[in-house]
Amino acid sequence: MKAVVDSFLLRALIGLVFLLVNIVSIYLLLRGHNLPGGGFIGGLMTGMSFLLLGLARGWTELQRELPVPPLRLATFGVALAAVSGAAPMLVGQPFLTQWQFHLTNVPLFREIHLGTPLIFDFGVFLLVSCITVKLIIVLARSTAGLPAFTPGEVPYYSSTLEDPIEHEPPAEESHGN
Amino acid sequence: MTNALTAPLLLPLGTALVCCLLVGRPSVERRVFIAASAAVQCAVAFWLAWRAFNGPPLVLPLGNWAPPLGIVLVADGLSGIMLCLSSVVSLACVLFGYAETPVEVEQPLRLPLMQLLAAGINLAFITGDLFNLFVAFEIMLVASYALLTLEANDRDIKEAFPYLAVNIFGSSLFLIAAGMAYTVFGTLNMADISRRAADMPGDFGALLVAVLLVVVFGIKAGIFPLYYWLPNSYPILHFSLGAFYSGMLTKVGVYVLLRMLGTVFPHTLTPIYTGLAWLAGLTMVLAVLGAVSRSFIRGILSFHIVSQIGYMVLAIGFFTPLAIGACIYYVIHHIIVKSSLFLIGGTAMYYNHTDHLPRMGGLWKASPVLGVCFLLQAFSLAGVPPLSGFWGKYLILFAGFKDGHYWLVLAALVASILTLVSMLKIWLGAFWEDVPRDGTIEPQTSGAARAMTAIVCALTTLSLAIGFGVGIFLPLAQSAADSLLDPAIYRRAVFNLTGKGAP
Repeated sequence: MKAVVDSFLLRALIGLVFLLVNIVSIYLLLRGHNLPGGGFIGGLMTGMSFLLLGLARGWTELQRELPVPPLRLATFGVALAAVSGAAPMLVGQPFLTQWQFHLTNVPLFREIHLGTPLIFDFGVFLLVSCITVKLIIVLARSTAGLPAFTPGEVPYYSSTLEDPIEHEPPAEESHGN
Repeated sequence: MTNALTAPLLLPLGTALVCCLLVGRPSVERRVFIAASAAVQCAVAFWLAWRAFNGPPLVLPLGNWAPPLGIVLVADGLSGIMLCLSSVVSLACVLFGYAETPVEVEQPLRLPLMQLLAAGINLAFITGDLFNLFVAFEIMLVASYALLTLEANDRDIKEAFPYLAVNIFGSSLFLIAAGMAYTVFGTLNMADISRRAADMPGDFGALLVAVLLVVVFGIKAGIFPLYYWLPNSYPILHFSLGAFYSGMLTKVGVYVLLRMLGTVFPHTLTPIYTGLAWLAGLTMVLAVLGAVSRSFIRGILSFHIVSQIGYMVLAIGFFTPLAIGACIYYVIHHIIVKSSLFLIGGTAMYYNHTDHLPRMGGLWKASPVLGVCFLLQAFSLAGVPPLSGFWGKYLILFAGFKDGHYWLVLAALVASILTLVSMLKIWLGAFWEDVPRDGTIEPQTSGAARAMTAIVCALTTLSLAIGFGVGIFLPLAQSAADSLLDPAIYRRAVFNLTGKGAP
């Protein structure tokens, strides 16, 4: 399945916008502890930037280029957030206790305030962005008439003897890709 | 302060994560791991409940932020009871699912999602913060949407739409109510709300928030005008999941109603209590009529959930200490009986390959043990003495009689008799009559059927123990009710905490 409109200008522009959106979303992730922002909003922005990418490159292309399956990364994000929340319990502190480190005399930055909430927030960021990407891909595939999951994914989403919901033959390869 | 309070949330969540990250496909090892985790959750829940009963409520300030700034987890007697029930039912349903579905055909996402559902339910029971409660409801509902549609076929999946629509409507309303609560009270901590609400009697905003929250949790519990989503959506689930849904999901609504009206809001909202009592009366009678009209086991049992919710909400509507104690006892009785009836239905379906009554039959000959379990649980549900349902209903009706709600008592009696009628319908159709010509029956008792019957027997024994041990369980329920109805205990436990940001 190819992109809807194949134009060089669109692809170049979307590549640029993708970069800009992700810079902003990482900025939002980093400032989230003290100012409006955080993992959730940053994650949503990153997820939405993949919508642009998918429009420019086509959904199957995008899915093939993703280095890890998005849902695995999302689950890893939840696990990261849960572990960072549960880790303080090992030293007898309540669940979700956080610490701040203030580094002074760092070259270039002068001083940096690092906090363990960032780990938690990064987990949320991964969860939200990857779930958004997955949702977008599944929705885009089903509006384009493709089955929601690629054949390789099916074993993780359905039991072996289950009837597939779609009864059409998989039009994946014959769809002019 | 005790970190153990996070276990009811973290254990199921961790189990789900391990299943998704490390073992994506169902296997025997994964099944053993999940069953072991469910058993550990059970043990932890009983330990927490034991600690909550023998002492002040357990409180944990998350991130060491002192209330009312931070979120607190609180477990008092009622939360302890609910945690125990949810973990017992979850364990039984997980084990029953193993017997019901061979490992080769198991849906890979079913058990992880079920653990996530349990995590959401447990969080709803222990949270002490209104917005956190919303989060717990969302975890629970998202998992339940996914489970509902996971194994549904094309024809059944449309029954999930009313479920989705009504619950999303309820969640939006919940969010609006939480926002209004923050405007009116300036806090979302339940203990702090109860302190501030007590200082503003007759305030219109406070009343509005209370009404909105009661409507929201009434929808979640499935009370009269908006219960249509429930009896049609639950029958599309497998029996093991249906048992978990029917046991726990609506009861979360009942628990939160108890918590809100008992602990959070002052005990002066008489119009709300009266309204709830009458709606509950209508729910009981109308839903049981629905049950009588159905002709398949899951449909009948699903309508009964709504009808039984009516009894619990009726007790909340009477709002005397006795009635609240009876309500808690009824919840204990109901969760076990209802889940075990669903599991009995699952075993019957295993024998007959269908749960459509006209095509069932011959189960009394095939498995007399199952028949005895069914009779005991059906009579208990209908309220035949000396089984557990009788004590619950008797106490609720007694509380109603003392306050002179004669019409509601009459409605409850009528609903009770109709319950018995619809249970007899299952008895005659599935157990007593011979197999009709177009029906089938499994000729031999296999290992799977024995395992299913054993689980059903265990739950029935538990239910009998609740009925005959009414002398133990009723005082437990009553002491949980007393501490629920005394906001001072809850507030003292929460505000005694010290931490960052303490005033």
